[in-house]
Amino acid sequence: MAGRRILLTGVSSYLGTEIARGLATDPAIEYVAGLDERPPRTRLEGVEFIEADIRSSDLTEIVPRLRVDTVIHNKIVRRPGPGVSARAAHDVNVIGTLQLVAACERAPSVGAIVVRGSAGIYGAEPEAPQFFTEELARLYPLRTRFQRDVGEIESLFDAFARRNRDVVCTMLRYQPAIGPTLDTQVTRYLSLPLVPVPLGFDPRLQLVHERDAVDATLAAVRNPVRGPVNVAGPGTIGLSRLLRRAGKVALPVPRPLFATATLAARRLGLASVSPDLRRLLLYGRAVDTTRLAEEVGFRPRYSTPEAVEDWVRSRGSRRITTAVGELLPGG
Amino acid sequence: VSAARESDGRDPGIEHEGEPPASDQASPALPLRPAVYFLRGLRRGLARGASPLEALAGVAVGLPAEAREAFEAGLRRLEGDFPEDEWGFDEGFAETVYPLLELMYERWWRAKAVGVANVPGHGRALLVANHAGVLPWDALMISTAILREHPLPRFARYLVLKWAFDMPWLSIAVRKLGGAVASPYNAIRLLEEEHLVTVFPEGERGIGKSWSERYRLQRFGRGGFVEIALRTGAPIVPVAVVGSEEIYPKLADVRALARLLNTPYFPVTPTFPALGPLGAVPLPSRWRIEFCEPIETAPYGPDAAEDRRLVLELSEQVRETIQEHLLEGVFERGAPFL
Repeated sequence: MAGRRILLTGVSSYLGTEIARGLATDPAIEYVAGLDERPPRTRLEGVEFIEADIRSSDLTEIVPRLRVDTVIHNKIVRRPGPGVSARAAHDVNVIGTLQLVAACERAPSVGAIVVRGSAGIYGAEPEAPQFFTEELARLYPLRTRFQRDVGEIESLFDAFARRNRDVVCTMLRYQPAIGPTLDTQVTRYLSLPLVPVPLGFDPRLQLVHERDAVDATLAAVRNPVRGPVNVAGPGTIGLSRLLRRAGKVALPVPRPLFATATLAARRLGLASVSPDLRRLLLYGRAVDTTRLAEEVGFRPRYSTPEAVEDWVRSRGSRRITTAVGELLPGG
Repeated sequence: VSAARESDGRDPGIEHEGEPPASDQASPALPLRPAVYFLRGLRRGLARGASPLEALAGVAVGLPAEAREAFEAGLRRLEGDFPEDEWGFDEGFAETVYPLLELMYERWWRAKAVGVANVPGHGRALLVANHAGVLPWDALMISTAILREHPLPRFARYLVLKWAFDMPWLSIAVRKLGGAVASPYNAIRLLEEEHLVTVFPEGERGIGKSWSERYRLQRFGRGGFVEIALRTGAPIVPVAVVGSEEIYPKLADVRALARLLNTPYFPVTPTFPALGPLGAVPLPSRWRIEFCEPIETAPYGPDAAEDRRLVLELSEQVRETIQEHLLEGVFERGAPFL
């Protein structure tokens, strides 16, 4: 069998670049194309960079020409960065996915699609089961803009998979990632000097280590399965325990003022907290990862508490007790 | 603090320079002494170039064994170095509040457990009980009864109404003490992990019972708990809790306020809302917790969960067992508050 040919969208994001690097070193893969609006920050050996806007209809020409057998969709904006409007992010998520799906319809060579989606579709609800299995999506209304984006992305690929029974569509539902080199909304929030938390709530959080986040996509490319698959480090960690591990000081804010407090942090340019993260910090969310382990055959190296440990170690942060010791006289 | 205990807990391998004699610590007139000694020791440790944590541990050596243990455990908690399972059950927290639960069990409610041996010592089991009271005291007292009286004690998990997880502090306490949202997915997962799980099929109807309806079991829904037991092959242990239905005697229900606060009920009791937060203090009724003969479900096989007739039959059987033992129990117990 000839080597596999793969197209990766969103190659210039941090995880996109890491995924491309992983693909390029796999001997079973013959060709890797990376598509994005701007080139990746580092030179990628063995990856052909294609500069294109995923929202444009150029995709319908580009994708069939590449004769790829697998498409990895990584161009999903979880949180618009500075200078990107919510509107533009929504366009990338929904129109971009629409264009990609349309392009795949025109490319008969495509046999598998792997989407790096989000567990955000489950939401964060007080009455939710403590572990979401894959069939429990849309148990609750999609409350935020990002949730609705993810809902639309999933619907587009569902419809595509129904029309093209011979194409295997894997929808990876990622919990938020954390790791030493990752710079995301969650890591920025956790790095605030004083971390605002909702008063009287201590949700169970579940995260995935950045290394596992990359490897899970690579595993799904090697062994694509049909339908949604949850991706997370096993186990959970309470928010307060996480902050204590990181030596952070929590600032409890009454729930009605919490949105205002996070908005203030955004105004100060410290960190922005999306409505999704805000709900997550109230109610938490965890998923069941049986399908990832048994069907995709990927077991994350880091559990959620271990992923947090690794992130804490990399920051070389001070513990609360250390800080208290330094305040004592005669030290 | 006894001096004898202190010398027992002392590690002979570690030097005790500058430590005050034990008689000083025992002197009641100088409660500040240990604190001064402690701070002085800490400063000395830091001056020697030890890291603050080592210095703290160093002075902690001089403390009596028990205080030292508590102190070190406190330090570890402050560092987030304590285990929580994936459900958020916090063993250290449960151990810390266990004396309080025991106090409620023993002194406040003078509880008596009957038939604890009916709770399996190993493996999964579904405890099905009558429900009352807005706070899940009954679930905690069932867990306490098993911890105290069972030859193989373990912490029974329990399912609570969803709104408990939307309440500040209550959500934390419930999660850390082994509670989960009342959802069949949670029940099945807990049972598959071989836990004891307490459920209250009366649900919202149970906590909304008025004073005149006490010990009259409400409808058991569609028998979802039987389906769960059949699917997982877990034995059902009916539990009749007498006493819990008198701790918050509901005299009236203010619907408008309930709707405003998004709670299922806004109960008016003799103490709530008249006494404000004090109204959350449960009345000291006398309790009797009876664990009845388990009903085995494994012989039916997991497919029997689809059999509506069997599900309703078993559900009715469990309901009747609990109702019968409740009425007996109320009689056995005698006066509710004496």
